[in-house]
Amino acid sequence: MSKKVTTTSTGAEIRHKPLGMRIWNHRGYYLMFLPVLIYVLIIYYWPMLGIRYSFYDYTLKKMEFVGLKHFQSLFRDRDFWRSFKNTLELSVTKLLITTAASVLVSVFINEMHNLTVKKGLQTIIYLPHFMSWTVTAAIFTLFLSTSSTGMVNETLKSWGVIKDSIDFLHSTSLWRPVFYLVNIWKETGWGTVIFLATLSGINPELYEAADIDGATRMQKIWYVTVPALLNTVIIVLILNLAKVLNMFESVFVMYNNRVFEVSDVISTYIYRKTFLTAIPNYGYTTAVGLFKSLVGCLLVLVCDAASKKIRGRGIM
Amino acid sequence: MKKKVLSVLLATAMVASMAACNNGGDTNASSAAPASSAQGGEQSSAAAPVEEAPYVLEDLYITVDGTVTANVDNRQDAFVEQWEAAVSEKLGHPIKLHINQPDHSKYADNVSQLLTTGSVGDGSYPDAMIMSATMFRQYENTGILWNMADAYANAEFQSRITLPSINENMKTKNGELYGFAPTYGNGCVTYIKQSWLDKAGKKIEDIKTYDDYYNLLKTFADGKTYGVIAAGFGKLDEAPYINYMPEFWQDAYPAFYQKDGKWVDGFQEEATAKAMDRLAQAYADKIIDPDTEGASTKIAREKFFSNDQTTSEAAFTYWAGTWLRTLTNNMEKQEVDNELGDDRLVQLPPIKEIKDSWGGYLNREAPVWVITDDGDGNNAREQAIFDALLETMLDGDTVQTLWTYGAKGVHWDTKAETFKTNAGTDKEKEYTYEEGKFHLLPTPNDPNSIWKKNHLDAVLVIAPLTNGYVDNDELVTKGNKFFTENCVDAPAAAACDTLTEVNADMTVDKTTLLNTVVAGGGKFEGTDIKTGADAIAAYQKKWGDTAAQILEELNAQ
Repeated sequence: MSKKVTTTSTGAEIRHKPLGMRIWNHRGYYLMFLPVLIYVLIIYYWPMLGIRYSFYDYTLKKMEFVGLKHFQSLFRDRDFWRSFKNTLELSVTKLLITTAASVLVSVFINEMHNLTVKKGLQTIIYLPHFMSWTVTAAIFTLFLSTSSTGMVNETLKSWGVIKDSIDFLHSTSLWRPVFYLVNIWKETGWGTVIFLATLSGINPELYEAADIDGATRMQKIWYVTVPALLNTVIIVLILNLAKVLNMFESVFVMYNNRVFEVSDVISTYIYRKTFLTAIPNYGYTTAVGLFKSLVGCLLVLVCDAASKKIRGRGIM
Repeated sequence: MKKKVLSVLLATAMVASMAACNNGGDTNASSAAPASSAQGGEQSSAAAPVEEAPYVLEDLYITVDGTVTANVDNRQDAFVEQWEAAVSEKLGHPIKLHINQPDHSKYADNVSQLLTTGSVGDGSYPDAMIMSATMFRQYENTGILWNMADAYANAEFQSRITLPSINENMKTKNGELYGFAPTYGNGCVTYIKQSWLDKAGKKIEDIKTYDDYYNLLKTFADGKTYGVIAAGFGKLDEAPYINYMPEFWQDAYPAFYQKDGKWVDGFQEEATAKAMDRLAQAYADKIIDPDTEGASTKIAREKFFSNDQTTSEAAFTYWAGTWLRTLTNNMEKQEVDNELGDDRLVQLPPIKEIKDSWGGYLNREAPVWVITDDGDGNNAREQAIFDALLETMLDGDTVQTLWTYGAKGVHWDTKAETFKTNAGTDKEKEYTYEEGKFHLLPTPNDPNSIWKKNHLDAVLVIAPLTNGYVDNDELVTKGNKFFTENCVDAPAAAACDTLTEVNADMTVDKTTLLNTVVAGGGKFEGTDIKTGADAIAAYQKKWGDTAAQILEELNAQ
């Protein structure tokens, strides 16, 4: 086999050795790489073979190739499109709201001068992140209950603000605001970590220059802090945008039959179709999962393109 | 970008090729599977006899729900050890018992996963398992269950069965038996707190009709305390659906059931509309605790016997018999009505409307044990499972005692001993037993409570123990007696292909409609729902055709 020849910009010719010879020459490295390759293939790629079930009827004792039948069914299913729409709306809104809240809190904490209070506040707002969604939902369900054990309703009633209890978690108009509030409570603190790190990296000379120019505190925040944060905010948004379809636990522990119209997301739809059906057809639910993954891939590509445009480099 | 497009195309091609590649192999699987699935149930009775090789069952894998109370937290290891010793001796060879006990509330989901994704021989695939009546009807005709009619007919325990009708009624019209019920089903009765009755100046005998019941509960509906709580206004995913709120449901049965020999859709009946309206009225009058809508049975129970009775309820409909003892004990633990002792709760006889429609509280269809069929045309494995598990389960002696009370020396004993519960507190109680006297011991994970039972209820079992080991708890006996005197059999669960396919979605919608009506109205898929009639109209609009198809299939069976 003749060696492949490439010409450099200066006109010099480089003769490459055949691939087999190059592998042999670097066999030590390839050998070291082999366990990693096997690990990746087994752990990450082998399970992916399961996506073939989306083209099958896969139920009790039955595995039958049905082509695109499941995709046709899901595209005709009103509940699927409802969950798809809800997923996008809930995820994107949640992302924007929690990011905005994190930025605000970060700026606020950054402005604090008392180090003890600052650290204490940071710790307090981080804590909810470490609470499981199940516990969080149980607490808020108890707080917002319409029965006499519901703290919020009972307090509002005792203050004369309301006469009858408000059914926060069963009302289609109130469920989403409550969901966003709970997310803000739980995730804002954790979201501040990356923004506070960025803020600590801002060159102090910029603030000194602003002081010399006579800038007020608000002006310093607006003209120095916020622009410095903007790039990080965009990166956080882009990175999280790729994950918007993965919403499950937070919704699952808080939703109920009466608010499906505004709360049912793709993952909860898949869960119901898989686990609440007496004899489920795993083929159908795999098809829904595959569709979700494809849309997720598309979002990653969009985010990659957006990242390249804004940061000059992609996320992949 | 070109590379990415190319990679996406390659990935798509890979997916398609994987699907195509597997088509061939899986076609074989599917062609083989229906053969076993279609024949599975008939092999033992209809197909020509196959010469059966001797089969030695060395490992028995069973999947059980929470009704096996000797769980891992309650010394299941001791139960397993004693079971293995006793059954090995009976069989004449060693056998190991492997118990898989998923979370009780997710049991049906877990079983469905195990059966769909596993196969005989996998460690997690059950040789035998417990199924509720509803689950059993759904799996009965799938071919994965073994027809145990012959094994059942030839079982040693036949001579001791006192309630043969339970299993006889489960046979198909061809005489096949795919599930075995060692006990009858049991059901729920309404418990009312005696102290609350006293507060209202009423006696239990005064509560005879729905109006009596409603007016009693209304006495306590002040927005802080409530009349009644349950795990849902109706438990539409679990037969017999209406047993947690029977006084409100009365003659309604919101599911497919047989009426005068013909299958009907109870959810479309006027009785259901009226029941929903009754529930809505009670909800509006604050008689029903609003927490009912989202409460699990555990939450409902705990609120009922909560230490804080200022936010509790007067009535609670729950399981009969042993649960009367459990609820009473829990009230005692929470120091509720201590002065009343075992008279804290009174059982409400079925009100007139229930008696006039059903005849009494509903005795649910019994949960069953099923054996999985490996579809090899040979019954040796399945018969061996039957012999090791079900034949011994009702042996009247050692193994039946294990399933009834648990492990000797751990859950019960016959030796002379003295022990105390709540030692060192004002609730301290001493128990003394002489040698040879059967008695239950403190619960392993709660030493201040006395153990009650394991899987089988000694009172409900179809072939009683012959060793005379009886728990003489008066309250439990009183509860069982009350239920037996006031119950009727619940309608049989329905099962057909279309129902199995759509039941989950249908149940979700029925529950949504029910909750919407009871909570005062709202929207269902764009339609305003206020009354029971509105709910039924919305249901008919969405599910009318499917329900008709289901009824056609059911009535053609």
